[in-house]
Amino acid sequence: MSGFWRQAAAVARRDLTGEVRTGEVLLVTAPFGAIALLLIPMAVGTDAPLLARIGPGMYWVVVLLFGVLVALRRSAAEGRPQRELVGLLGLDPAARFAGQALANGALLAVFAAVLGPVAVALYDPALRGWEWVPLLMPLTVAGLALLATVAGWLTAALDSGPTLVPLLVAPLAVPLLLGATQVLEGLRLGEPILGWLMLLVAVDLALAVAGVLGARPLEEAAR
Amino acid sequence: MTNRRLWELAAVGTLAVALAAALAVPPEQTQGDVARMLFVHVPSIWLAYVAFVVTLVGSAAYLVTRRLKWDRLAGASAEVGVFMTGAAILMGMIWAKPTWGVYWTWDPRLVLTAVLFFVYLGYLALRRAIPDRVLRARRAAVFGILAIVQIPIVHFSVVWWRTLHQRSSIVRPDSLQLDPPFQAAMWMAVVAFTVVYVVLVARRMELSRLEERIEDALAAEERALAGDAVAAPRLDPVPVTAGGDDE
Repeated sequence: MSGFWRQAAAVARRDLTGEVRTGEVLLVTAPFGAIALLLIPMAVGTDAPLLARIGPGMYWVVVLLFGVLVALRRSAAEGRPQRELVGLLGLDPAARFAGQALANGALLAVFAAVLGPVAVALYDPALRGWEWVPLLMPLTVAGLALLATVAGWLTAALDSGPTLVPLLVAPLAVPLLLGATQVLEGLRLGEPILGWLMLLVAVDLALAVAGVLGARPLEEAAR
Repeated sequence: MTNRRLWELAAVGTLAVALAAALAVPPEQTQGDVARMLFVHVPSIWLAYVAFVVTLVGSAAYLVTRRLKWDRLAGASAEVGVFMTGAAILMGMIWAKPTWGVYWTWDPRLVLTAVLFFVYLGYLALRRAIPDRVLRARRAAVFGILAIVQIPIVHFSVVWWRTLHQRSSIVRPDSLQLDPPFQAAMWMAVVAFTVVYVVLVARRMELSRLEERIEDALAAEERALAGDAVAAPRLDPVPVTAGGDDE
């Protein structure tokens, strides 16, 4: 394993260890997302065909919006002394970004996996094309993890950071939401989905490149 | 006459010509006079795209050169772009009521344009949240580059989905549907809006420079000087009273 990936893995392991100790995602954020899935039918009406129709879309909206909270979790918060110490240790900012994005991605995957059965149970959607989910889920979750990590770095050390992150992430997550929902819709209607999968891949790549290239100026700005 | 004054005069002049042209074209066959909204709606969104691309260029140039003038350009252009996007949405809604029967419909182009508005509102909120100009420039530059991903999605939304909104009819010659007088008036409006954009961005950049000067002056005033803590010896005699303080 190269130095870059060894450093990224060390950062990811540190973040995941912190999360295992606090259990914030599984004990707080995931139940919060499940409550949101439960509340939506109360707002739009408990019409079973309607819920089956909108279920997949609602699932992705909850994953993308509440997933931001996964990236904002307290267990991953870094103070200025911690950031400066990591900088003095000579850690590559791009590797640190990659590590944090990996940890966020892993936790978001857990979050999405927990909410999946809840959505199926509550909305009873048609599960046509479910075999594509193992491809769709990582692409969407990776995009959101990268986006939320970039937003976290953009607002690091700002008093208004936690309130700014959702405003920065939610509109930019639209391509991810479109890709994820349109793939499921395409599978339901038997229409081609390759274009939507390519959109997800393109967004993921663009975010990864932006994050890695922007890591150094953002780290300098956070000190 | 200064360059700035010339640009301002050009903005007023081209706007006047564009307004005259927009009023001179005959009413559209099916929509009547309402179709004149085209001359505000289309240039607004076109300039919004241009403004956000300039924000991208300014952001990238700042990260490469680390010169603050590029950050000022990116910020100023984004502000004008947000205004233009808001204007395009508002004009579109006003136009939609008599033609589609509603102010708002869940059309992909409309929804994604609103999302674009919020993306750059977030950009401006990020800038406002960071008082230090160098730190602000670095963070805003990264977001300014990232935010551009929204533009092609908005533009191609009319191609990717079945929408109420018509496809591009200005820059695609194969689908040109506008009559020559409408085309001429449209291009005049685009030129006028472009000149107004240049003037607004230049003025906003100048305002940013002045704000920075004021910040520097205030910071210089507040900065403690060496020796401030040491009081100078007083030369005036202090009256000494005999007896207690009660007298």
